[in-house]
Amino acid sequence: MLDAVRGIGWPARHRARTTLAGPHQSAARGGAAELVEYRPYRQGDETSRIDWKLLARTNRVYTRVSFDHTILPTTLVVDATASMAFPVETHSKWRLARVLAVGLAALARDRGDPVGLLVAGGLGVVHIRPRTRRTIVGLMTDALDRAPAGQRALAPLLQQVTGTSARIVVLSDFLGDSDAMREVLRTFVLSGGELFVVHIVAAEELDPDPGRQLLVDPEAPGFRRPLTTKSRSEYLRRFGDWRATLARDWRHLGASYSMVVPETEPVRQTVRRIVAPAAGLSH
Amino acid sequence: MVLLSPVYFYLAIAVSALVVGLHCIVARQPASSPLPTVRFVPRGSVRITRLARPEDLLLLLVRVAAIMLTGLAFARPMVAPVRRPMIRVVLLDQSAAVRDPAGASDSAKALLRDGDLLIPFDTAARLIQQSVSDSVAEVKSRGLPARLSAAMIQALRAGSALRLRADSLELVIISPLEASAIDGATESIRALWPGRIRLVTVAAASDSAGRFTVEVQAPDDDGVWLAVSLAGLRGDGGAVRVIRHPVTPADSSWAIGAGHTLVRWGEVPEGSWRARLVPDTAGAVIAADQALVYPMNRKWQANPAAGDRIVARWVDGEPAAMERDVGAGCIRDVSIPVPQVGDVVLRLPFRHLVTVLASPCHIPLSVGPVSSDLRSRLEGSGPLAAGRDFAPMERQATPLVKWLLIAALGLLLLEHRLRRGGGVNPSDGLPEIGGSTQ
Repeated sequence: MLDAVRGIGWPARHRARTTLAGPHQSAARGGAAELVEYRPYRQGDETSRIDWKLLARTNRVYTRVSFDHTILPTTLVVDATASMAFPVETHSKWRLARVLAVGLAALARDRGDPVGLLVAGGLGVVHIRPRTRRTIVGLMTDALDRAPAGQRALAPLLQQVTGTSARIVVLSDFLGDSDAMREVLRTFVLSGGELFVVHIVAAEELDPDPGRQLLVDPEAPGFRRPLTTKSRSEYLRRFGDWRATLARDWRHLGASYSMVVPETEPVRQTVRRIVAPAAGLSH
Repeated sequence: MVLLSPVYFYLAIAVSALVVGLHCIVARQPASSPLPTVRFVPRGSVRITRLARPEDLLLLLVRVAAIMLTGLAFARPMVAPVRRPMIRVVLLDQSAAVRDPAGASDSAKALLRDGDLLIPFDTAARLIQQSVSDSVAEVKSRGLPARLSAAMIQALRAGSALRLRADSLELVIISPLEASAIDGATESIRALWPGRIRLVTVAAASDSAGRFTVEVQAPDDDGVWLAVSLAGLRGDGGAVRVIRHPVTPADSSWAIGAGHTLVRWGEVPEGSWRARLVPDTAGAVIAADQALVYPMNRKWQANPAAGDRIVARWVDGEPAAMERDVGAGCIRDVSIPVPQVGDVVLRLPFRHLVTVLASPCHIPLSVGPVSSDLRSRLEGSGPLAAGRDFAPMERQATPLVKWLLIAALGLLLLEHRLRRGGGVNPSDGLPEIGGSTQ
């Protein structure tokens, strides 16, 4: 997996508002090599920013102004509720979520960004704050070595990561509290944070086997519905409408929304699709 | 095997068929498959009903057996008894009216065979089924009057019990057939016996004086005249004269004749009677073993003199009629008012009371034998009663019922155990369908 994502870039979609030096363009202006403008020296400016050659030619004191480069603390939020353990035989949704989480973490870590993890499911919550140490990817791999189960609301947990992250990646099927999650992350996006939403949908959910007559919600065993020819058509229509609404709402919020289906494309291509900038940099 | 209430057995067969049918109809849900996005599937029924080969055959067998045994128990089965061409039911009068009880018993013994029934009766009747030939010798008179109605009812019950054991039933009544044994219900009860009755008349205790005739001096519409006429006693020149008018010298001279009895039953009694200060009402009057229950206005009070014999009393014990010897004859004074309204004078109790009070002195007071018409009606005509003509008894003893019910209960317990222990859970495959609507 690490080999698969090597060489893929993951630049910031916006100028970051963080202050630590890093590979991403910062929203703050400083004395980096990338020139933005000259302006007359004012008392208090650092003397190291004075363009001495210009002073020698023009006998006027100007200072160089340029954007700083900074880092993007990145937190990957992984949904580990029971609905991710699907299909029952392969758990392909969960496996893809793990692979993408590790791959994206490695990608960010390789660019020098601190990487953190929040895994939440019915069996508990694991929260690793963003770090830059080399072992962080291995630590995250161990944290993801679990079976998804039970129910868990993710929205309350997201509030723990919005303060420590400049970039959040949510990997989920959004069959839980997606509306509440969107409300929590709205402030994060408006304050300049980068949000990546990875919607994981199994192929069996997109096209249920008509041979299955009775379906049950893995997170609510008492919730059962029959699957007939008529109800299947209605299901496809409702599910398609819901996916379209979900994508529109996240994009409307400013998030980068990607729907991924396990085992339909190479992981490298999936990662590229997720991290590819949907639009130009915005300030 | 005979079923007394076969409808329950047929009902059990129908219910068993229904149970087998339901057992073959499988209503269950298919195996469920998880799908996280099931909330987008619209609501609908998921129960699938189909016919299938019956499973749990042991459970089915136990259920059907329990139902059949219960139905059989309610059907009240009986082991079919050995059927005889004819069974005799003998009603033996053991009342005080029988002059020679031993002779009556001998008559009964001559008629009874093994398997026949003996019903001795006086005011009560009891059924003897076992060793009737020996039991008949032990029948003793208790000095009580006879009541044929009670004996007839016992005979009808015996007929219902014997309906499966005999092609025909012969009812024999050994009795003097005194009219006092007959009451208002006797004839209607007799009509329930579906065949002729054999009457064996024995001597009555009151037969020593022979029957008598009564001369009634009263208008034709008088109640006493009517009662004597209905009793078949009216005749001129007899030993008894009933006068409903004030006594005349001719009546007084007639009364002293040998064996004569003058019954003075006028509006104003003569002899040892005086008017009551406050007239009251008595509810009944009793003479010998006959009672007339009727509210009667009592205006006179007895003042017995030496030699007066009380022959009737009011219900509170006061004398209502007295007699005394006069010369070689006898005078009887009656203070009982004759009802002028209603049909009481036409009814049997009044007729019996009049018969007792109009009987000669010095013989046991009795209403005498039944009339020939009544005797004919009691005897009836036609063939003997057929066993099938009797209604089945509502509560005929069926010893098998208890054991059938116990067996059915045991099977039900076994069914419960099989259902619990055998993994057959009625709620399997029938989970609650529903949840929130998407």
